[in-house]
Amino acid sequence: MASGDLIVGLEIGTSKICVVVGETRPDGTLKILGVGQAPSRGVRKGEIVDFETAMKCVHEAVVDAEQKSDVMIRSVYVAVGGGHIQSFNNRGCVMLPEERDEIDEQDVEDVKVSAREVSIPAQNAFLHSIIQHYHVDGQDGVLNPVGMLGEKLEADFHIVHGVRTRIQNTIRCVKELPLEVEDVVFSALASAQVVLTQHQKNLGALVVDIGGGTTDYILYVDGAVKQSGALAVGGDHITNDISMGLRIPMARAEKLKTEEGGCVLGNCLPGETILLKDDSGFAGKEIERETLNTIIHLRLRETFELLKRTVEEEPFINYVGAGIFITGGCSLVNGIDHLAGEIFEMPAHVTHAQTLSGLTSAVENPQFSTAIGLLKYAQAVQIDRPRRGITRIFGRFFSGMR
Amino acid sequence: MIQLSKNYTLPERQEEPIPIKVAGVGTAGSNVLDRVLLDGMDKGDLIAINTDVQSLASSVAARKVQLGRTCTRGLGTGGDPELGYQAAIESADEIRQAIAGTRMIFICAGLGGGTGSGAAPVVAQLAREAGSLVIAFATLPFSFEGKRRAVQAQDALSRLNEIANAVICFENDRMGDMVAPKAGIHQAFGVADMTISQSVRSIVNLIQRPGLIRIGFDDLFAALRTQNGRCLFGFGESDTDNRAHDALTQALKNPLMDKGRMLSEAAHVLVQVAGGPGMTLSEVEILMRELGRHVRDHTQIVFGTAVDGKMGNRLSVTIISSLASEDALATQAASPPPEPFLAPPPAILEQVEEPPAPKIDIVPEPEIAAAPPAAAEPPPPAAPSIKKPAPRLIPPKKKPVVEKEAKPPKEKFLQAKQEVLQFEPVTRGRFEKSEPTIVEGQDLDIPTFLRKNIRVK
Repeated sequence: MASGDLIVGLEIGTSKICVVVGETRPDGTLKILGVGQAPSRGVRKGEIVDFETAMKCVHEAVVDAEQKSDVMIRSVYVAVGGGHIQSFNNRGCVMLPEERDEIDEQDVEDVKVSAREVSIPAQNAFLHSIIQHYHVDGQDGVLNPVGMLGEKLEADFHIVHGVRTRIQNTIRCVKELPLEVEDVVFSALASAQVVLTQHQKNLGALVVDIGGGTTDYILYVDGAVKQSGALAVGGDHITNDISMGLRIPMARAEKLKTEEGGCVLGNCLPGETILLKDDSGFAGKEIERETLNTIIHLRLRETFELLKRTVEEEPFINYVGAGIFITGGCSLVNGIDHLAGEIFEMPAHVTHAQTLSGLTSAVENPQFSTAIGLLKYAQAVQIDRPRRGITRIFGRFFSGMR
Repeated sequence: MIQLSKNYTLPERQEEPIPIKVAGVGTAGSNVLDRVLLDGMDKGDLIAINTDVQSLASSVAARKVQLGRTCTRGLGTGGDPELGYQAAIESADEIRQAIAGTRMIFICAGLGGGTGSGAAPVVAQLAREAGSLVIAFATLPFSFEGKRRAVQAQDALSRLNEIANAVICFENDRMGDMVAPKAGIHQAFGVADMTISQSVRSIVNLIQRPGLIRIGFDDLFAALRTQNGRCLFGFGESDTDNRAHDALTQALKNPLMDKGRMLSEAAHVLVQVAGGPGMTLSEVEILMRELGRHVRDHTQIVFGTAVDGKMGNRLSVTIISSLASEDALATQAASPPPEPFLAPPPAILEQVEEPPAPKIDIVPEPEIAAAPPAAAEPPPPAAPSIKKPAPRLIPPKKKPVVEKEAKPPKEKFLQAKQEVLQFEPVTRGRFEKSEPTIVEGQDLDIPTFLRKNIRVK
C-alpha cells in the first residue's frame, strides 16, 4: 500500500484509456505505482460518442490499474481534449485605491477576475486560466506582485476554454463509475508538465501531443503558456487513410502503421514490398513500402502544416528556443521528428515523460505522457492549494501552475 | 523454316523522315534559328523571314525571305504590327515558295514587335493553306518592355491561336526565373532561345523517332489543343545512374512547367520517354509513377516511348500539355472553323506514319462509329452540349469519308479517356458517422492523398 498521498491520472483517449497511479512522497518526489489501460471504444476524435461503451472501458482500465498498483482508486484527475478546445490571451487590470499603494493578495485575486471578464461563446466553459506575467505600473515581467508598491496592477492570462457539455460528458462518465473527479485538465497542458523541463519552458518550446484522435499543442515562451489548442486529427486518421488507400481492414492498417510505417519519403528501395500474411477473412496482400510511407507522410505533413499556420497566427513561435517536442502515441511513427523539424524549421524531438521514479517502462512510453503529466499537474496544484474539492471545477483559478 | 526466320527479320522498316521546316519570323525568330542550328538541325530546313535586311544577312538559315520590299524597303517595321502584316502580304508569293512541300512547319516568332506580331500569323495562314501542319512557338515580351508591346503580343497570339494547329507560348518573364540574377542580359535571351530550340528538337524527335509506343500527330494536337494558349512544356535529359528520376526532375524544372504544379490542372498530358537500347522497363515505370504524382486521377496521359541508338546512355523525357480552361473548351466546341484544316494530318498519318497493324485492324469499326455522327448530323448545334470529348468528335463529322483511316485511333482515344475518368467516391471511412472536422474549408476526415489528388497506387 502507498504511504504518501495517492494521485491518479485518467486519460480517456481515442485509441486507449489509461490510468496512472502515483504517490507523492513527503520529500516532494513523485513515484509511479502502476499503470492500467484498456482499449478505448466509443470515443472518436477525443470526444465520447457512445457513453455506455466508453464507461465500460474506463471501468476496465481503472480495475486494471487497481490490480497492478494494489490500491483503491477513489478520485482521479481527468484529461480532456478534442477539437472544441480553444484558447486566447487576455490582460486583466485593477487600480489600487488612492489611500493604499501596496499590492496585497486581494488585488491579485481581483486582477484574475478582471482578466476573466471576456466573452467566450455561451456554450463554452473556462477550463484553465494560466498566469503568464504581472505588470505593475507598466513594469513588465513581475512574477509575484504581492508586497510591491504600485498604483496599477495588470496581469496577462492564458485562458483555455471548451464546450461545457462535452467536458461535462467526460466528467459524468467518470462519476458514474463512481469515482470522484478532482480536476479536469487540458491534455496538452498535462503532457507539457512531464515532457518539458523548467529550463525548456523558459527557453521556449512547442509541445505537440499527437494522440489517436486529436493533435493537441501548447506553446511555452519565457516559462509561460502563450498558445494552446487542439486539432481533431490524429493517428486514427492515418490508419483510416492507410485502410482506404491500400484497401485493407482497419485492424490491419493499424498494425501496419505501428509496425512498418514511416513518414520519410525516398529512403526505401524501389519496389520494396511488405507482405501481409493472409488471415481468416483477409486474403494476403503485398504492399509497397513507399506507398505506405507516402500516405502517412501526406497526412502528417498536412497536420503539421496546419498546426504551423495556426501557431503562426501569433508571433510567439519565433521565440521558441528549445524546439518542438512531439509526444503521444503517434509520435512513435518513424521519422516524425525529421518531418516536424523540416516543416517548422527548428529542432524537433520525440519525447516522453521525464524526471519521475517508479515504473520507468511506463514513463518512457510517449503514449502515457498525458496521464503521467496529470500526476505532475496534480502535485503542483496540491502544493499550491492542498485538498481542493470538486466543487469549483468550472471557473476555478490557480496561480501556481505555469 | 528458313522462310519463317526470314519473316522475323522483315519488320525492320525504313522510316522516311517527314519533311519539316523551321521558320523564324522577325529578328527574335532568326535568333532562335541560330540556336536550332547549333543544336543540330539541318541548315536546309531553316527559313529566315524578316523585313530587316541587315538581320536577314546575318542569319544562318539557308533560305531567306525578305518581306515588304516596297513598303519597308529593307528596314525594320519600327514595332508596328500593321506594317509587318502588310509587308508579309506583299511578299506572300515568296513565302509560299519557301514553304512549299513541307508537311510540318514550326514558326518561331517573338511577339510584341512589328514583324513577329504582324507577319507570323500571315506565314501561319499561308502554311495552312499549303497543307502543312503548323506549330507556332511564340515568345511573349518581358513585362518591362511596356504595356503596348504586351497588348500587341496578345493580339498576335490570339490570331496565331486561331490559325495554327498548335501554339506553344513562352513567357519571357518566366525565362527570367531560369537565369541567375547576375547573368548578362544576352544570356537571359539566350536561355529563351535555347528553351525554344529544345522544344522544337524534342517535338521533331517525338514525331520522327521510331517509337515502340508511337506518338502521332493526333496525340500531339490533343495535348496542345487549347484556345487560351497556356502551354506546358518540359524536357529533361540525363545519363546518370538515376537517370529516370533526374530527367523527370529536369523536365519539371522547365520554366513553362512551373515546377510541375501546373500539370495538376491539365486535362491531357503527353509524355515521351526516349533512350538508348539500355533503357529498362523499370526505369520507365519509375518515371511514370513519379509523374503520376503530379497529375490528377482523371488526367489523360498519352504515353509514348522510343528507343534510339543515337541516344547512347542518355534518357530523355518530354512532357507536353496545355491548360484546359473552361471557356477555352466552350469556344472550341462552339467554333470548329480551325478543325477542317485538320484534313491534312490524316493524309500524313496514312502515308508517313504507316499505321501499325493493330490500327488498321480496327478499320471496320468506323462503320459503327460513323453511325452516331450520321444520326447526329441534322442538329449540329447539339455538339457543344456533348460535354468535354465533343470537340474531338467534330472532325469526323465534317469529313467522314476522308478521315476514315484516322478515326480508329481517335475512337480508341475516347474509350481510353472514359476508362480513366473514374469518379473516386468521396468517403471518410471510419469517420463516416462522426462530426466532420472542417479546417480551412477542407474536410480533414477525408484522406489527405484523396484531397490532394495524389495517386498512391
